[in-house]
Amino acid sequence: MSSPKPATSGSSGKDETGGATPFPTRAKRSGRGGAPLLFLAPALLVVFAVLIFPILFSLFVSTWNWPLSEGLGPRVFVGMGNYLTLFTDSEFWNSLRLQLGFVFIALPIELILGYAAALLLNREFFGAGFVRTLLLLPVFFLPVLSGIIWRFMLQPRYGPLAQILVALGIPETSWLGTPGWAYAAVILQDIWRMWPFMFMLIYAGLSNIPGELLEAAEIDGARYWQRVRIIITPLLTPTIMTALLLRLIDALRIFSEVFAMTEGGPGTATLLFSLYANKQAFTYMKVGMASAMAIFLLVLSVVFALTLVRRNMSLEELERKAGN
Amino acid sequence: MKKLILAALVLASMAVAVSSQSIKVLLWDDPLAKIIQANIPDFEKATGYKVEVEMVAPPQVLTKTSVGVTATSSDYDVVPLDEGNIPVFASLMSTWDSLPDGKVFKKTPKDSVTPAMLDVGTWDGKLIAFPINGNIYVWFTKKDLIDNPQYKKDFKAKYGYELVVPVTFKQLDDEVSFFSALGVGGFGPFNGGAAGVHAEAIYMWESFGTSFINWVNGKPKVVLDETKAVTGMEFYKRLMTMSPKGSETWAHNERIASFTTDPKGAWTQFHWPSYIASYENPDTSLVSGKVYYSAPPGGPSKRVAVRGAWAVGIPVAAKNKAGGAEFAYWWTSKAMAQKVVEGNAIPARADVLTDPQYAKKMPWLAAIADSMKYAVARPRFKEVAQVQDIVKKYWVQGITGQLPTADAVKAIVKETNDVLSKAGY
Repeated sequence: MSSPKPATSGSSGKDETGGATPFPTRAKRSGRGGAPLLFLAPALLVVFAVLIFPILFSLFVSTWNWPLSEGLGPRVFVGMGNYLTLFTDSEFWNSLRLQLGFVFIALPIELILGYAAALLLNREFFGAGFVRTLLLLPVFFLPVLSGIIWRFMLQPRYGPLAQILVALGIPETSWLGTPGWAYAAVILQDIWRMWPFMFMLIYAGLSNIPGELLEAAEIDGARYWQRVRIIITPLLTPTIMTALLLRLIDALRIFSEVFAMTEGGPGTATLLFSLYANKQAFTYMKVGMASAMAIFLLVLSVVFALTLVRRNMSLEELERKAGN
Repeated sequence: MKKLILAALVLASMAVAVSSQSIKVLLWDDPLAKIIQANIPDFEKATGYKVEVEMVAPPQVLTKTSVGVTATSSDYDVVPLDEGNIPVFASLMSTWDSLPDGKVFKKTPKDSVTPAMLDVGTWDGKLIAFPINGNIYVWFTKKDLIDNPQYKKDFKAKYGYELVVPVTFKQLDDEVSFFSALGVGGFGPFNGGAAGVHAEAIYMWESFGTSFINWVNGKPKVVLDETKAVTGMEFYKRLMTMSPKGSETWAHNERIASFTTDPKGAWTQFHWPSYIASYENPDTSLVSGKVYYSAPPGGPSKRVAVRGAWAVGIPVAAKNKAGGAEFAYWWTSKAMAQKVVEGNAIPARADVLTDPQYAKKMPWLAAIADSMKYAVARPRFKEVAQVQDIVKKYWVQGITGQLPTADAVKAIVKETNDVLSKAGY
């Protein structure tokens, strides 16, 4: 009795000669026909409508000169024209530079603070739960409210933070009216609001590290910082990477808090990427340009995310680190 | 089946009847619009129309109108248009002359507003929106400083002339220097939104004798005299050094707060009349009844008051054009203008602004009428938002010392020319 050949023509259930194979397709095997697809259809439809369609539509709009108002003229297909215009626009590069600066300054500081606080609070003491809960408060602030509060706090004449700085001997300064300070203030605001997010995730990861491992290391004579460096940090790497990835995606889209705090000013000193995209759409009424910026940001996010995941969260990498 | 078709027809005809009896109005959120909204029941009673209002913040009016009004469809029967956006929407609005006569309210005559105000809603020689507020630069000065006998005496001893509400830039400079040295207040600049900063730049440049952009042979063209522009910017920069800390980012709210609640804050500044209600509210303002209102001080070249009014338009594609027109006539009527004035807001109608019955208890009305004599408009063309951003960027850098003023002016000219060139002018 010869063994039957597997079907080579996909799921048709027929062999190369077109004859019926002894093996039925998976659908036939289960006797469910197209029912699974039918049941999946609503979910797929929702995924398409909510996730895929907006991206495809943005991509489509980005290839058009698409004025927000019909009064500004007709829509004209420009192909890659919007992208080429963006790449020759100094303001685009300025906003990208500011955006990347923001991400690469704020995120590491948030990570260090969050990690340090998680290590510090990963023990039981009186009021520990209360302190941990209290630390999380800034994360729950509405971003726009955070922006308004920081704007008020830094107002030179009335702002409490500005007054404290004056009391410390720092000359009265227009913090949000000076380009460098305004940029620093925007970053500081983000660090204040979002470092507890890092803390929250890292603390959760820390709590899951088996106590026996740390105890064994301690018995073997490993000091605290050795345990942190050799055991805790490698085991926390996936958690840290997840936290960084989530924060990265969030930080690349930052808008409302900066808009409320500085509106991108003074001049264009805090005109981050999304603020400039918003300006293109609703001030200059160039929806095509704004869409091109959105697509650029999407590609940038995906590149960053893939780099992070591939370099730090692949199975081989995790095994290598665990081996260390 | 026949019954179903009949029911559908009845429902459809009812829907048509309801839509012809209802008016959808877009309003921007400010004291004047709120007065209009509060009086809508009177309009509904008089006309039988049902009015549906959508009130949004001023910047959202532009977005809503952009998305909701096209040549073939319109979400609104009545839309307010900011003066600067008239070129964008001109082709989508019915001309005032083409609107049908009202059944209850007469079509508002064009001569009910001054020619300078009528210009607000005019594009390409056609009136496409009727002016509804008298928004023009008015100068605010704190009475308690100007009228203080000791200050008057000291000022005269130092400068050799009377301390009065500034009429010239020389007086403004001397007085701001005088009070700044005493530490009792400073000049109130505007460094908020791009449109407002653009207005300040136009105020300075026109006062020093140069326009920014003129229409030449049917195209907008940069005509800025760079030397005069630098002088104007340098003057503003000097005033900035005598402004309260933090004024580098002041928009309207901060300026109002400083003027009305801080005894050492701004004491002399322009403001749009639509904000007068905030200054005269005794519950929130320390200077209610204690402000001198006047036309802005004039520069070496001329006296200038920048205009920034709103107008009401009826989209070509409005579903209820007759109803929208009726609403616009009611809004711009003398009776409504009187209610607006009584609510401390400012209508555009000249006959109400100069009505003696209001002049005494509302001293700002005379100042507004006076300012209208010196009215200048900001340049208007479809790409003006981009140009405003350029002006704001370099103007603020120039007046705060981040960039030499000559370089700032050069950058404004260059980048504005780039925008105009790319736009195909």
